[in-house]
Amino acid sequence: MSRFIEKILYAVLTIFVALTTIFFVIRMSPGDPVETVLGQKATQEEIMKLKSQLGLDLPMSAQYKAYLIGLTKGDMGKTIFGNKDVKELLKERMKPTITLASISVTLAAIVGIFLGILAGYKKNKSFDKFSRLISLFALSFPIFSLAPLMVLLFSIKFNWFPVSEWGTLKHMFLPIVTLVIPLSAVVMRVTRNKYLEEVHSQWVMVTRSKGLNEVAILLRVLKVCLPTILNVVSIQLSVVIAGTMITETIFDIPGMGSLLFDGIQNRDYPIVQAVIVYSTLTYMVIYFVIDFVNEKLDPRTQS
Amino acid sequence: MSLQRKFTKEMKLGLGVLSLYIVWALSWFVYKYTIKGTFLKPYTPELDMKQELAMPMTKGLVLGADLLGRSLLEVLSAGLTYSLTLSMLVTIITASIGILMGYMAVKAPSWFKLGFDLAINLVFIFPSILIAIMIMAVTGQSMKGLIFAMIITGWPGYAKIARGEAKRVLSLTYVEGARAIGIGEVRMFFTIIIPAILPVMIVNMVLGISGVIISEASLGFLGLGGSPYSWGAMLSAAKTVLLEAPHIAMILSVTMAGLIIGLNLFGDGLRDYLDPNKG
Repeated sequence: MSRFIEKILYAVLTIFVALTTIFFVIRMSPGDPVETVLGQKATQEEIMKLKSQLGLDLPMSAQYKAYLIGLTKGDMGKTIFGNKDVKELLKERMKPTITLASISVTLAAIVGIFLGILAGYKKNKSFDKFSRLISLFALSFPIFSLAPLMVLLFSIKFNWFPVSEWGTLKHMFLPIVTLVIPLSAVVMRVTRNKYLEEVHSQWVMVTRSKGLNEVAILLRVLKVCLPTILNVVSIQLSVVIAGTMITETIFDIPGMGSLLFDGIQNRDYPIVQAVIVYSTLTYMVIYFVIDFVNEKLDPRTQS
Repeated sequence: MSLQRKFTKEMKLGLGVLSLYIVWALSWFVYKYTIKGTFLKPYTPELDMKQELAMPMTKGLVLGADLLGRSLLEVLSAGLTYSLTLSMLVTIITASIGILMGYMAVKAPSWFKLGFDLAINLVFIFPSILIAIMIMAVTGQSMKGLIFAMIITGWPGYAKIARGEAKRVLSLTYVEGARAIGIGEVRMFFTIIIPAILPVMIVNMVLGISGVIISEASLGFLGLGGSPYSWGAMLSAAKTVLLEAPHIAMILSVTMAGLIIGLNLFGDGLRDYLDPNKG
């Protein structure tokens, strides 16, 4: 139980550090959003007026205090550009990102585990060698260089999929493939190595000598491999966050990644803060769930 | 240790690809400082709007031209030398910090270990791209900021490995022997610990270089890079003219992937070479 509390404390601390850092960092960075909103012709008076409206004329510590108090009430402020409610904006933009990320991670896990076990099962046969080579290539094409190539080939050359926009399954296909390729390659490699490590261990030999059939043995080996695979997936979540951000910008998907991207470009403080806090929170929750599942699957990790 | 160690096919292929890139980078240096420019006034790719978006093998340009009419070959070369120098510099600094911190985490008093764990977990648990974005947002688009961001997000990985390795090495008999003779801590660190953990660290550094290249390009792609010759920044620009000049994105993607494939192949091969039990 104390370990559980310790983990919660870690998570809370991380989120707090994240929101504090981003709050000060983005305010200290060069560029003034208010001057950008009003354009170059704006008088000093107009600038001051908008600043006081947004509360940006207060000292940093007062702004920080107001921000924290707002957060506890679930208020994330209004955007500097367009004066929209950040919470509403976030809700609207969350759906595409969550859809994209969850489908990609699930698919990558299924494909990666399947191919990994198959490669391990056929160790050093041509399938194994071929899939290892392919996975190396998959890992070496970063998302932002893979995505334009896919657009070139499948949207422009063959005209199978739309270039941008969002909504139907057809729009989702290319972005999902772009994310799944590198992720499944990582899962495949880890699964293969872990499978080979376990399949020659003594407990598998005992199980086999008891006369269990191959499928039952495979399922047992898989269960032992799962914590390692899940751990890698949880580390990869960071990659997913970066990945969706880049993918969303390339395919013009109205999600959180492109929201953060625009927010940074415009120095729209409330947006950047909200997206970072939200991403950290999601990340933390998933991290927790995976940790919990791992402990249930493999009691050894508790010690 | 077996005597049957030999270079694997993977490693040879990786080494071959890498040497091509190194020859390319070196020739660019020579071209930049001696043939086209001088040491004091190095040559930079020239703008020429007349040849904007030229296709490969036209107008006397082997790979065509980019959005600003600069020769794509020259811009790519500048990007390559930038990418290689930056990634190697960052990797060496990051790994050195990692080794030192990892070793300290084994030897230091418990309050240090606590702070170390906290720092490592904070960086590990927090998506590194977000940390890098935060740092780049504050420092603006500068080389210094970029290097700083990469080091902050990179050292915990090396520190974790170094800690494990240092723990293993410190329990070996010859270390105990050295201690019995009365070797000082500093000498111990440099003459015994470092050589013992270096092989493992080098494998991770080779694979780490490709990681740095990818992160740098990701940041460049998001408009937070440190140089106009960042491959990521170039790709981001190429994306906007994908219909008019698809060759730019294509050449960039393939060049970049080639370098990363070379590094990954070499790193993978090196790991198998140093540890024949794995793989």
